[in-house]
Formats: sequence, structure tokens, C-alpha cells
Amino acid sequence: MIRVGVIGLGRMGMLHLMNCLKLDGVEVIAVADSSKKALKKAESVGVKNVYADYHDLLKHSSDIDTVVMSLPNFLHLEAIQLALEAGLDVFTEKPMANNVEECRKIVKLVEKSGRKFMVGHCMRFVDAVEKMKNALDKGSIGSLEVTTIEEITNGPFSYGRIPAPVSDWWFDPKKSGGGALIDIGYHMIDLFRFFAGDARVDFSRLGYKFNLPVEDGAIVMLSSSGSSAKGIINVGWYQKSTFPKYNFRVILHGNAGFLSSDDLVPRNLYFHALKEGSKNFLRRIVGKKICPLSYTYYYESFYKELEHFFDCVSKDFDPLVSATDGLKTVEIIQEAYEKFRRESVN
Amino acid sequence: MNSIVSLVRTRYSLESIGSSISESLNLINFNLDSSIKSVVIKPNLCYYWDAATGQTTDPQVILGIIDFVREKCGKHVDIKVAEADASAMRTKYAFTVLGYKKLAREKNVELFNLSNDHLEEKTVVVGKHELKFQVPQLLLNCDLFINVPKLKVMRETKITCAMKNIFGCIGFPRKVIYHKYLDEAIVGINRLLRPHLTIVDGLIALGRFPVKLGLIMAGVDPFSVDWVASQILGYTPSKVRFLKIAMKDGIKNPEGIATRGASVAEFKKNLQKPKFTSSTYWFNAQSWLLKVYCKMADDVIPPFLEEA
Repeated sequence: MIRVGVIGLGRMGMLHLMNCLKLDGVEVIAVADSSKKALKKAESVGVKNVYADYHDLLKHSSDIDTVVMSLPNFLHLEAIQLALEAGLDVFTEKPMANNVEECRKIVKLVEKSGRKFMVGHCMRFVDAVEKMKNALDKGSIGSLEVTTIEEITNGPFSYGRIPAPVSDWWFDPKKSGGGALIDIGYHMIDLFRFFAGDARVDFSRLGYKFNLPVEDGAIVMLSSSGSSAKGIINVGWYQKSTFPKYNFRVILHGNAGFLSSDDLVPRNLYFHALKEGSKNFLRRIVGKKICPLSYTYYYESFYKELEHFFDCVSKDFDPLVSATDGLKTVEIIQEAYEKFRRESVN
Repeated sequence: MNSIVSLVRTRYSLESIGSSISESLNLINFNLDSSIKSVVIKPNLCYYWDAATGQTTDPQVILGIIDFVREKCGKHVDIKVAEADASAMRTKYAFTVLGYKKLAREKNVELFNLSNDHLEEKTVVVGKHELKFQVPQLLLNCDLFINVPKLKVMRETKITCAMKNIFGCIGFPRKVIYHKYLDEAIVGINRLLRPHLTIVDGLIALGRFPVKLGLIMAGVDPFSVDWVASQILGYTPSKVRFLKIAMKDGIKNPEGIATRGASVAEFKKNLQKPKFTSSTYWFNAQSWLLKVYCKMADDVIPPFLEEA
């Protein structure tokens, strides 16, 4: 049994907690968050040890083996460092850290610790993306020439059915590391790396429609370092959208064909929910394990990434996403920021 | 109270908006003079979605009003553009994101967060409900309080326009607490806060989708404005619950409401009304089904979809 501490119980952290509770071989021992309401919720789902400060959770590190972290970006480095030094395996939400310097420190800390470490690059676990990667690897579309990846959403402006204001740290570049590019673009750039390998930035344009200190949109063009593949990344926080509508797509253009995620995601998410929900219901009746969140389609990837991470911990494999992946993604983002700034000045 | 509501067609340019505002006020015989020293303009900045989405008041309309007020009342009139924090919205960001900070700089007006004003707690009884409101005193003490709502539909109340924008003046940010009896709350706060003038931004109205309507509406009585707004949005005014409650409450009688300028039909034809009755049921049914399913299948509800 892997004993887990969940640090940070915001929207993502709470989702990770709920997923941990459904995973076989995982026991949630403790949680930490500054919100009393979140801690109360954790207690209501059976977590016995709750802490208002994650440092207190880490002081009791002998009771746990692994931490799952979903903290504001600017807290990642310190929390990861303390957890690794306490001898714990670490799963952290993206971005791995706010800048390249911090990411490099994390890579070194991970290497030194010898612990399992994974960054939450959940988009790699979306069913359509997995299918596209398999098809590409099998050569179905020939050699990859151009990849277009886009996601336009509400970003931090989205809120659930309980309205709550956006936390201030999102709009403080020192705390967030940036805006839409480091938030959503992080995933899109990681997907380009997933399909086409390492990359460099050819072009970068940031949008500031909202007049905030951080960008609310970005278009970045990438070139693969190891092939002729090019990438177009288009991300934004400026669109009013509500789940189940989700403005995300990947198109892989090869020299022998193309693949579009639009053809692979369910056409009707309500019908999909009904189908997957029925399947889970039957699984439950016959005593089989359900596929948590499969009815939501996109949210299932959060369960799958954690399942993969804990699998790696228990079977001693290397996770699909390493600290180096986190570093390389942030390197590209920083390069895009710097390129835009340089060209804006000129 | 004057029950006349003017409707004026406008184009999307500052010049056209300015002249439409002037025309709409002429049609309701609303005069401004140099005795007015302090003006508060309350747009609808309910969230961070800009005017093109039909959700928030277009800064161009506020610009037009500022120019008009300065022209009539003199250059030195004190103008504040005011909004209160809401459950999910913070004015400090809304003013920036929606272009009001830029407007304030250009026009030398003050942006004011009503939630930070001196708030006085007032109790109002509407029907069976005893409602407490935090009332910003600025709105009671200024010489001219101009309400500048949007013209849009809303699942909970069918329409949201003049009276609902006054609900947005409540100083307490977590206004979601009123949503269980929203219609009563709208009527209650309108008994405490009465704008001197309402100018509706109908440049882009929100029906099922945002629609370029090109309308400026004006009236001194928010009830009358909402009565006409309901008709434009495709609802029978007497079936809009908060208007019904307002009638019962004695706020206003619809008799005597008249329009001047363009006709309601001219604007009504362009709007597609959402089917809220069925969507409300569908929305509640979805929540119920989700809860039942997750309990029976032992599945997870993403926190995003969870209710309070």
C-alpha cells in the first residue's frame, strides 16, 4: 500500500485527492491546505490527518511514502525540495516551476534523491492524444511535418458551480511565471514534444487583450530539433466557455495523411457520459473495477496520469513524464517569452 | 414617476453613440444642468467577459455618457464610474480587463469599488422574505446616479437589465447568497436604491447568442425600462417574476408605460430567445443524475461540477 499525502486542495488538488481515493494500492494518509473548507471536505471523505500548512504534513513524512502536489506555481520549488529531502516520491502539478533556473534545480534535486518524480502532463493521457501517438508511431501518416495544437478557454477565469474569485497570484508574473502560455501553452508545447521530440522557438506573439501584467493569449511556432516537423501552438484565456464544451484540438499533418483529435473525441459528450456511466454501473454490479471519470472524457486523463505514477512507484518504473520533460517545456516557454520581448523592443 | 422609455437606433462609433444618448434623453425630456456637481455611473461589469460577448457594458457607452454629462453640467463635474465586487468578480480586475482603467485615464474620471464604500445595512421585507442589504452610501448622496445596464437574458430571472443592475450595487461581494430568492432581492434593493436615470447599452444584446442590436434605451424608471426590455427580449413582461413581485410590492404599475423613438418590434425581431424553462429542468436533472450515478457507481464528480 502506497501511503500518500495530498498537498494543496484547490480545484486540481481536490480532483487529485478524489482520484487517489479510487486508486488500488493507494491510501491517503494526510492532506494540507490553508482553506478550512477544503480540509473539512477532505475529512468528510475519510482523510484523518489534515494540516493547514504543508510543512506540518512533511514533518510527519515518516507516515507517508508519496506526495501529490497542486500548489500555486511559485510554491513548487520549495515544496518539491522539502518533499524530496524528506525521502518522498513526488507528483506535482504543472508547470514544474516558474522558470528555467528553478526547473534546473528541481532536476538536480530529483537526480540526487533517487525518488520517483512526475509532472502532471495530463494531456498525454487524453484518449484521443494516446490514439494519435500510437498511430504516428506506427507510421500511419508517414513522417510528421506540421502539428497544430490549440486550446482556447476561460483559463483562470473559469469557475465551477460555486462562484469564487480568481486568486491574485495568477496575475502576478513573479508568482505565476506568466499567463496563458505557461498555463495552457505548457500542455500544448509538451504535446508537441510528445509527438515531434525536442524543439526550438521560431516565432512568438503574445496577446494582452485583458490589459493584465500576464498574457491572455499566445501563438508560438516551433521547429523540432531532430526532424523537419514544425509546430503551431495557439492558446488563449479569452473565451467564455463552459464544460462540456472544450475548445481543444491537435492536428498531425504527415506526408502520408493526417490525424485530427476532432475525429477521435466523442461527438456528443452527453451520449458519451451515458454510455460510459452505464458501463461503470454494470462493472460495479458484477464487482469489476470502474474507470473513474471516464464519463467526462477529458477529466479521465487526471485519473490515468495518477494511476500511471503510482504504478511506476509500486513497480519501480520510470514515469512517462520526467523532471527533464518539465525543464525542457519551461525552457521552450521561456525562449518564447524572451523572443517576444526582444522582438517587441526592436 | 415618468414611465416613458425611449428607443434609439445607434451605430458602433463614439460619435453615433453620443448622439443617440443625447436623442434618447431628449425623447424622455431628461435635462441636465450645471447644478449637478457629482455623478455616479454604474455599468454592468458582472464578470470579465468584454462587451463583445453581450455580458458587460461597453466602455464606449460610458464614454458617450461622460462626454454628454460634461457638456451639460460643465467640465468640473465630479464623475465616478462605480461597480461592486461580486461572488466571482473583483472590480480591481474587471476595470482593467474590460477597458475601464484606460477610459478613466483618458477621461479623468474615478473608478470606484462600491464594496469599499461606507456600507449601511438595511432590511427590507419582500413577500415572505426579510432581506438584508449592504447599501453603498455614495449612490444615495450623489447628485445624479446613472444606471447603465446591459440588455440580456438570464436563466434565473429571464431578463436582466435595469433593476438587476441595481442588484449589482449591493456592497457585499458574495451576492450568490441571494440567488435562492433572487427575484425578491432584485425588488428589495430597488426599493432602497433608485437611480435618477437609466441608459441601457443595447449595442450588443445577449439572447441565445450575442446579437449586434444597435440600441440605446433610456428612462428614469427602472421598472418601465425593464418592462420594455422584456418585450424586446421576447418575454411577456407580466410573466417576468421580479416585475410581477414589483407590481405586487407597489413599486410600480405598468399602466402608462410608453415608448418613444423606434419601435420595440424593430429590435425584437433580431433576438433569438433561449428555451430557459426546459434548460433549467435539464440543468437540474443533469445535477441530480450525476449525483445518483456517482453514488451508485462509486465514481468521482470533478470539483468543477460540484454544487455547494
